[in-house]
Amino acid sequence: MLLLTIQSFFSSLIPIFLFLFCHVRGVSASDYFEQLNLKPLPHLSLLASFDFRSNTTFSQFEAQSYRYFPRSLGQILQHVGTKELHLRFSLGRWDAESWGARPWDGTREGGTGVELWAWLEADTDEEADHKWLTLTNALSGLFCASLNFIDQTRTIRPAMSFRPEGDHPNSTLENTHLLHGVLPHEVVCTENLTPFLKLLPCKGKSGISSLLDGHKLFDASWQSMAIDIRPVCPPSGGECVLEIEQTIDMVLDIERSKRPRGNPIPRPPPGHDLKCNTSKPYHSGDTCFPADLLDSQDWTLDQVFGKTMKGTCPLTDPNVPPVCIQAPERRDVYTTGGVTEYKDPSGLSRCYQIPPDSEFSLVLPRMPREGENAKTDADEMVVPETPLLYAERSFTGHGQERGGVQSILTNPSPDTEVEFIYMESLPWFMRIYLHTLKTRIEGISGNNEDVIEEIYYRPALDRARGTQLELRMRIPPASTVFLTYDFEKTILRYTEYPPDANRGFDVAASVITILPSSDPNAPPARQKTSNLRTTSLLLSLPTPDFSMPYNVIIFTSTAIALAFGGLYNILVRRFVAADEGPEVDVTGIKGKIIHGVMGLLKKIKGAKGKLE
Amino acid sequence: MSSLSEDPTSTTTITTTTSDNNPSTDNNTKRRKQPPPETPSHIRRRSFIIASFWAIVLFLGLPIWWKTTTIYRADLPLGEMMDWADGKACSPEFPIRVAIDAPDVQANEAESLVRETQQTLDAMKDFPGHRIRLEIPETPMDRAASLNPNSNTALVIRLKQGDAIATTLHPHLPILEVTYPSDSIVPGTSAASSLSTYLATELRSTFSEEQAIMSYLLATSSIPSERRPQDFSQQITESLSKRMTRSLKYSRTYHLTFSLFTSGPSPNSWEIEEAVRQYMDPVLNMLNSIHNFTIDTQVQLYATPGVQSQVLTKEDLSSFINAAEWPLSPSIGGAPTVNFVVYIGNQTIGVGSESETSQSWLIPQWGSVYLLSPPPTDYVPAELLKQPILTFTSHLLSLLGTPQSGSLPMRLSTLTRIRSADLLLRASSSLGSLARLSLALPSISIPPSVADGVAKSMHHLELACASSTSSNNGLEHARIAEEEAERAFFEKSMVGQLYFPDEHKIAVYLPLLGPVGVPLLMGLLNEIRAWKKRRAEKQKAA
Repeated sequence: MLLLTIQSFFSSLIPIFLFLFCHVRGVSASDYFEQLNLKPLPHLSLLASFDFRSNTTFSQFEAQSYRYFPRSLGQILQHVGTKELHLRFSLGRWDAESWGARPWDGTREGGTGVELWAWLEADTDEEADHKWLTLTNALSGLFCASLNFIDQTRTIRPAMSFRPEGDHPNSTLENTHLLHGVLPHEVVCTENLTPFLKLLPCKGKSGISSLLDGHKLFDASWQSMAIDIRPVCPPSGGECVLEIEQTIDMVLDIERSKRPRGNPIPRPPPGHDLKCNTSKPYHSGDTCFPADLLDSQDWTLDQVFGKTMKGTCPLTDPNVPPVCIQAPERRDVYTTGGVTEYKDPSGLSRCYQIPPDSEFSLVLPRMPREGENAKTDADEMVVPETPLLYAERSFTGHGQERGGVQSILTNPSPDTEVEFIYMESLPWFMRIYLHTLKTRIEGISGNNEDVIEEIYYRPALDRARGTQLELRMRIPPASTVFLTYDFEKTILRYTEYPPDANRGFDVAASVITILPSSDPNAPPARQKTSNLRTTSLLLSLPTPDFSMPYNVIIFTSTAIALAFGGLYNILVRRFVAADEGPEVDVTGIKGKIIHGVMGLLKKIKGAKGKLE
Repeated sequence: MSSLSEDPTSTTTITTTTSDNNPSTDNNTKRRKQPPPETPSHIRRRSFIIASFWAIVLFLGLPIWWKTTTIYRADLPLGEMMDWADGKACSPEFPIRVAIDAPDVQANEAESLVRETQQTLDAMKDFPGHRIRLEIPETPMDRAASLNPNSNTALVIRLKQGDAIATTLHPHLPILEVTYPSDSIVPGTSAASSLSTYLATELRSTFSEEQAIMSYLLATSSIPSERRPQDFSQQITESLSKRMTRSLKYSRTYHLTFSLFTSGPSPNSWEIEEAVRQYMDPVLNMLNSIHNFTIDTQVQLYATPGVQSQVLTKEDLSSFINAAEWPLSPSIGGAPTVNFVVYIGNQTIGVGSESETSQSWLIPQWGSVYLLSPPPTDYVPAELLKQPILTFTSHLLSLLGTPQSGSLPMRLSTLTRIRSADLLLRASSSLGSLARLSLALPSISIPPSVADGVAKSMHHLELACASSTSSNNGLEHARIAEEEAERAFFEKSMVGQLYFPDEHKIAVYLPLLGPVGVPLLMGLLNEIRAWKKRRAEKQKAA
């Protein structure tokens, strides 16, 4: 979709300055696009969203001539007939209560760990499974992740949750298969970032990608790396292109990021550096109420990322500003020299055009909270949008045998209901009882209608596949739904336990797809599909004592030996009176031993005598 | 049992009936009472009990234990496999068929010329695996067919009348043109014999490189030394071994990857499809009968080489490719990848070796690198790529192991024969290794898939051996044989149970076998002793 909005505004006082602000979204004229969006968040957090897009025409893709599209990935796609691919590496938890709505409406993030879903072209289900196996193995090598552990038990075929994002001709959509796999246990780390950066044309050497650094990225409070590959056809006709979009979103804790690299260990600040809230009545030399969270943000780009940005990537369209920050107009933002600033007419964001070969940094100074020009929170940062839905999920129950899951879904909107699909992909060893699936609604009283509209359930098969549960739900305005179900824990086989069995087993995040509103007058945020994921859960299963096999061997052997020995001896021995049997006493044994030793000594002496 | 109640320590006095061979009993018997004699039915019953316990252990326990703990070992034809490895099963013979095209010469004259030349050739005592066979195409159709590049004929000798004896090798076709004076063709004359000798020498020198390579292959194979040819110099071996280690493993398909690496943001596009189409495709089409190729290209910007110095020395060349950062992963699919890297930069090579130009070098079994000076624009046109692509083409030929002398069709037909021989020898040696492995490690399991692979491999080896005269079939069979042999040798499940230490077995068996085995064994021994004693008493009585 080409959405070209040319917004120009004239400064009424100085009509000479004309700011032409071009914001290009969708298929751009250039084959490569990159942009960094910074958004200060409450509680001294900063959201940084990196967006990289490159594309290749289908004819070039078929001919295997790769320019901006990475060859290693392109060949995998071609080899397994992948029509669309989405790969996510995520870490941490998005704090929706304080940070508000998710970046990209949640469509560019995954559950904790690694998540992969793709549309594969195949005639039969078996062929699709086979291709999926090849795909996961190939991607596993490319991204240094254990994607090859996405086997049949971790793969599902979502029925309602995911829709293709790209423009596919109807003929190919008919025999494509959607497969979805998730690895919640995977720890995303630096070794996954390096191959991610290798896929970019500018390789992290120039442009916004030069800011990316594994130490900062994986130190973030929340981060999500995403790769989306989809065919895009321009609405005006013309050749379709295959687009790869790589995004990295991270929420940096500013205080933690500003810690110098040479001194990364957190230490308590000395007393004179403590920021105290002096308004407290008990404030004195030795009592201090920390005032950190009330303080205003004060950071520079090179402080939080650990390095400055090295110019721009020359492959991008020079009209697209590479860096934008979402901050109110009253917020002071300074930049390095030679940088042009474009302000958005809404007054909520501004973008920076950077000269190609100069280093770039942003400086956000501390805003005075007292005195003449005192600023408030509203002056400092854009108030986060309220998300369409809050979701959290946790385990209930106790013991090693049974448990329960409770999801709390809250619709914060006072007047609009929200319709969504709730999807769970559960491991096979968590046997859920569907008849215990219950919903309880709180909020608007007297509304007892069932919130679940449709259920798609595919039960698990032991060691063959996991449970797939998809629910279409509708939550009325300003109410909370408690969704609960019970499950039984399975005892695994001895070899099926991982080395750290007592840590527990990760259960993948549930995926919530909020369906677009059918009302044409709905606000833009409700007009498109958005996503939401709960956190992953840690399920503790009954674990055996792992030295058990040896204990069993020893124990049963002893039992058998006791029984057998007694039985056998009774059967084959003859019992006689005590005075009828041979006499056995200690002196007899002693005499025997002495006799033996003497004999031995005699023999040795004899041998010596012979030698002489 | 009454004694038990009388004496609390009486448990020690419960003994077997056969305790009388204790040395101290002789003294005790005087003081102690003898137990009442046992009835024969009791003795017989005890024997039956012991016998039945042992029968259960031997005829039920042991077979079950054997059945459940035995490692599956499929039957391998070890003898035949060793025969292949020793070169006994098939002496690889690659006759080179040379057709004589002599339209002006009468049939009987030509025949006698062929006979004499063949005699001379046979007398030259080459090793038996490599023999030149002369033949005369009988019909014009055969003659036309022999010029077909896919035919089995390696070379056509075209005889032409002329003033003196002279030969020229056709630059593009496998034709050796020989001019001869008219009198030298008459059979029986000295001139005729000199012509045949001349022809034989010419032929031999034409195929000398192939012969050297064949000898080298046999020499480095697993075939024992007495069955190999002996006569070739150390120097030739060295140069050949250099060339052979440089070449890639044989495969039906190769992926060719052309990569443009630049140190900065420009140039970022190149006309590679056009350049490959113009300068490389003709050679690729000729290679079609032996190999298939897939081509992919990529552009990589901001690539830092492994060596930063301005002038590259010979040592630098091996570390120039920055394997950690450059995305040169092999193409997906089973076939090997050949990398051709064009690096845009001002670096030059200090002292190149004799065969390489100062801008490119070949990386054995991997590909080739070409340093191109930066073009003025950020676009590399096809004309600039001509020299790199031509260099890559020649490097490709040497990476494929093509011999260096002769016209291209001749080199390719030689390549076919060399590759067949090479694959045949490799497959045989893999089979030999597998046979030795299975003999050396008795505890390794051999799944049926290995036996299957070995059978297939041997079947195709036989076919390849039989059809080594018709080169292309032979190559295909040799390829399958090699593939199957490798697959059998590298079977994953064979390695899994290789290490199951004996201590482990003892730990498992001892707790059971100790307490159960000792009473069983002691019972048996005592019973045997008692039986001997009874027999001795019986004899005394008798």
